Amino acid sequence: MCAILALGLVVSSGRAGAQAPGETLGSPHRGGTLRLTADSSGGTLDPQINYTSTYLQLFSVLYDGLLTFPKVEGMAGTRVVADLADHVPEPEDGGRTWRFTLRQGVRFSDGRPVTTDDVVASFRRLFKVGAPTAGAFYGAIVGADACLAHPASCTLEGGIEADPDSRQVIFHLSRPDGEFLQKIAFPHAVILPADTPAHDVGNQPVPTTGPYRIVSYDPNRALTLDRNPAFRMWSAEAQPDGYVDHILYSFGLDDEAETTAVENGHYDWMYEDKPQDRLGELGARYASQLHIQPLFAFWYLPMNTRRAPFDNVLARRAVNYAIDRRALTMLYGGPALATPLCSMVPPVFPGGDIACPYTRDPTPDGRWHGPDLERARALVRQSGTAGQHVTLIVANRSIDIGMGTYVRNTLESIGYHVDMKPLNIAIQFPYIQNTNNHVQIALTDWFADYASPSNFLDDLLGCENFHPGSDSSINMAGYCNQTAQDLMIRALATTDTVAQADLWRQAARIVMDDAPTAPIMSMRYLDFVSARVGNYVYTMLYHLCFSRVWVQ
Amino acid sequence: MLMTILRRLGQTLFVLTGISVLVFGVFFATPGADPTARIAGRNASPQTMAQVRHEYGFDRPLPVQYATMMKKLFVTRDLTSYVDRGEKVVPEVFKAAPVTLSLVTGAAIIWVVVSITMGTLAAALRGSWVDRGLMMLGLIGISMPVFWVGQVANLLSQSRYHDTIVFRWVPALGYVPFTESPWGWFKALVLAWITLAILFIGLYSRVLRADLIAVSGEDFMRTARAKGLSPTRVLLRHGLRTSLVTFVSLFGMDFAQLVGGGALLTEVVFGLQGVGRLTYQALTNLDLPLIMATVMYSAVFVVIANALVDMVYIVLDPRVRDGRA
Repeated sequence: MCAILALGLVVSSGRAGAQAPGETLGSPHRGGTLRLTADSSGGTLDPQINYTSTYLQLFSVLYDGLLTFPKVEGMAGTRVVADLADHVPEPEDGGRTWRFTLRQGVRFSDGRPVTTDDVVASFRRLFKVGAPTAGAFYGAIVGADACLAHPASCTLEGGIEADPDSRQVIFHLSRPDGEFLQKIAFPHAVILPADTPAHDVGNQPVPTTGPYRIVSYDPNRALTLDRNPAFRMWSAEAQPDGYVDHILYSFGLDDEAETTAVENGHYDWMYEDKPQDRLGELGARYASQLHIQPLFAFWYLPMNTRRAPFDNVLARRAVNYAIDRRALTMLYGGPALATPLCSMVPPVFPGGDIACPYTRDPTPDGRWHGPDLERARALVRQSGTAGQHVTLIVANRSIDIGMGTYVRNTLESIGYHVDMKPLNIAIQFPYIQNTNNHVQIALTDWFADYASPSNFLDDLLGCENFHPGSDSSINMAGYCNQTAQDLMIRALATTDTVAQADLWRQAARIVMDDAPTAPIMSMRYLDFVSARVGNYVYTMLYHLCFSRVWVQ
Repeated sequence: MLMTILRRLGQTLFVLTGISVLVFGVFFATPGADPTARIAGRNASPQTMAQVRHEYGFDRPLPVQYATMMKKLFVTRDLTSYVDRGEKVVPEVFKAAPVTLSLVTGAAIIWVVVSITMGTLAAALRGSWVDRGLMMLGLIGISMPVFWVGQVANLLSQSRYHDTIVFRWVPALGYVPFTESPWGWFKALVLAWITLAILFIGLYSRVLRADLIAVSGEDFMRTARAKGLSPTRVLLRHGLRTSLVTFVSLFGMDFAQLVGGGALLTEVVFGLQGVGRLTYQALTNLDLPLIMATVMYSAVFVVIANALVDMVYIVLDPRVRDGRA
C-alpha cells in the first residue's frame, strides 16, 4: 500500500518542488522532532567512509548520489532510480561507458550549486580517503588501480570526464560491470562539495543535498539534524521532502533501556535489535507499533577449506546435513523473524531458489525438510575426520552464544570434539577472516549492500576476496573454485538479467555442492516505533525512512 | 620534605608509565585487536588496508607507536578515537567528568547522611531489634550487586509502574546537565544516587556502629559520662567524632575510585555518559585511544589522590616526614 502511494507521488522534476506551505507531499503532517536512540554512535560523519548500517540509514536522507535506491517499500525500493542525475543511463560500449547528465538547480545545504566538478572530485575523493568500497565497487573505473596504489595523487584520468556546459559526466570502465549502476547508487558514491577535505572529516559535517542537514554531533551523546534550507524536492521517490522538522539521535542506552524508552514514548524509534526477553511483551502489548520487515541478510557457518577437518569436502557436507536450521531459527526469535536457508543466497534472489542438496527426505520442490544426522555421521566417518578437534568461534552476544552452543552440540553429535570460543563482538569479525588465527569454523551473519546475489556469492566466496594473513579477507572459507568464479565473473559483467539469473543459479549450485559454508537462515527485521509515529515507511536497504515518517 | 615529595612524584610517574605500557602491550598482544580492518571497513581492499595502516602509523614499530600515543595524549592532547574518528579523547573524558562527579557527589551525600544515622542509631540501641534490623538491612544492601539494583529500579520506575503516580515523574534514562535544568538534573540522577549509595550505606553504617561500640568503653567516654553529660551528647560529641576517623579514611578512598570511573556499572545501567560509561564503551569497542585515556584518567586520579593523602600525612605527622614510619 505504502509503495503504491509512494509511486503515486513520483512527480517530474519540474513540478516536484511545488508544495503548499506547511505541507509535505500534500500532507499537513509537517513539523515536530523525531527522536531516535542507539546504544552508541555510528562513528565518523564522512559519508564516503562510514560503512555502519546506523549511518547508512541516516545518510540516505542527507546525501545524494547520481543515482539512488528509491525511498519506497518492497522490492520497488531495490531498483536504481535517477537522483542527482536526470535519468538512469543506458550502457554504452558493451557496458564500459556510462553517461550521466547532472540535474539542474540542486544546491548543497550551504547554498552552493552542485556542479560536475563536485561529481568528479567526489569520485576522486573515494580513493583519496580510502573508502572501504573503493576497490570492490569502483575498482573497474579506468585509473582506479593507480588511485588505489597512490591515493594522494588520484585523478582517475581516463576514467571520468566532465563537461560543465552539457552537465555530462562520463565514466569509462576497464571492464564491463553489470552492477555499476547499483554501485553508483550506493551511499559511498554520494556527491560532496569539491572542496571537501581529502581526509576523514570525523566529527565535522559535510554540506548535504537531502532534506536535512547536520547541526551538531557529539558521538558520545547525540546528533541533531534540522531542515536543509536549500532543499527543493526534485524527485519524491529518490529524495522526498521530510515530514519532521528536526531529528534528534541520542546515544547511550542499551537495548533493554531503549525498548522501555520507546514503550514509554520517550523516543520514537530504536536502532538495536529488540532483546529476545522482551519479544513476548512487545507482541502482547505493543503489536500495533511493531513492524516485521524483510532483510537481505543471513546467518551462516563459514568453514575453512584450507584447514582440517574442513579441508575435506565430505566433512563440510556433513555439517550441512547435520545443522538443524529450524531449531536455530527458534533460537534467533522464531519463525516470524527467520526462515531456514539452504543456499548461499536468500530466497528472493536468483540462486536462492535452487534445490536444497542437504535435507532429510528430499522432495521435488527442493525445500529443506530437516537435518539428516545419520547421513552426516556417515560422511564424517567416510571423510576420516571423526574425532578431530574443532574450535567454533562466535561473538560474545547472547544470541550468538545461544546459537553457537547449539551448533557445538550438533558438531559433537556427528563425531567431533568441539570447543566454542566467544570473542568480543568488535574483534570477532576481523579475527575469523585472518588465516593467521587458524580458524576452523565460525558463526556469523552478513548483510547485503544492494539487492544482488553477488553480495553473497561473490563477496563471500569469490577468489579475489581471499587475502591470506589479512584481517580483511571476507572469503573466510578461503574458497576458490575456478568454474564457479568464471560463472560469477560472467554474471557480474552481463546486463542481460535473464542470463545473469541463470549464471548465478549455476554458481550457487556449484558452491553448495562444494559446501564451503553452511547457510543457516535468512532473517527478518523487527522494527518498533512509538505510538506517535505515523506513515511508517520501510525501505529494503536502509530500513525505516526517517524523512517519510511523521510524528503526531 | 622536598626529597620525599619528589620521590613520591617519581613513584607516581613510574606507576603511570607502567600502567600505560601494560594497557598498550595487552591491546596489541590480543589477537584480532589490530584496529586497521575495523577502521578500513568491511571487505576493504589490501591497498585501502595499507593506506589506513600507514595513515594511523600502525606500520611503525610498537615503541614508536607507544611514544606517539603518549605524546598525543599528554603533550599535544589531540589523540583521537579509532571508532569515532575525529573525536579527541582527552576533551571527551573531561566532558564526561562532570556527569560522574554529579553522580558520585549526590550518592556520597546520601550514603554519608544515611549511614551515619543508621550506624549511630544502631550503636545507641545496641542489642535491640532496631539495631538488629538496621544491621540486617545494611547486610542486604552490601549483598545486592549495584547493576541488579539499578536494573530493578529501572524495571519498576521506567517499565512496570512508570504510568503510576509513584514513578510518573521519572524522566527517560540519561543525563540532564545542571546548567540546563537543575530540577531535571535532580530527577535524572536521584534513582542512580540511591542505587549507588545502597552498597556504601550498608558498609559504612556497619563500620561506624562497630567503631562506636569499640570507643564506648574508652576512658574518655567514661569521663564524659562521669561529668554528667547526657547519653546523646556523649554519643554524638565524643563517640561519633572519634569514630568518624575510620569512616573518613574509607570515604576518601571510595570517593576517589568512584570519581575515577568506579561507578561504571551505575552509569551504564542508568545511561549516564560519565567516565565509567566511556570506559565501558571503549572496552566494548576495543578503542585503544579511549581505553588509554580513561585508564590514565582513572590512574592519575587515584595515584594523585593517594599522593595528596600521603603529603597531608607528611605535614600532619612528623614521623612520616622523617622517614621513620
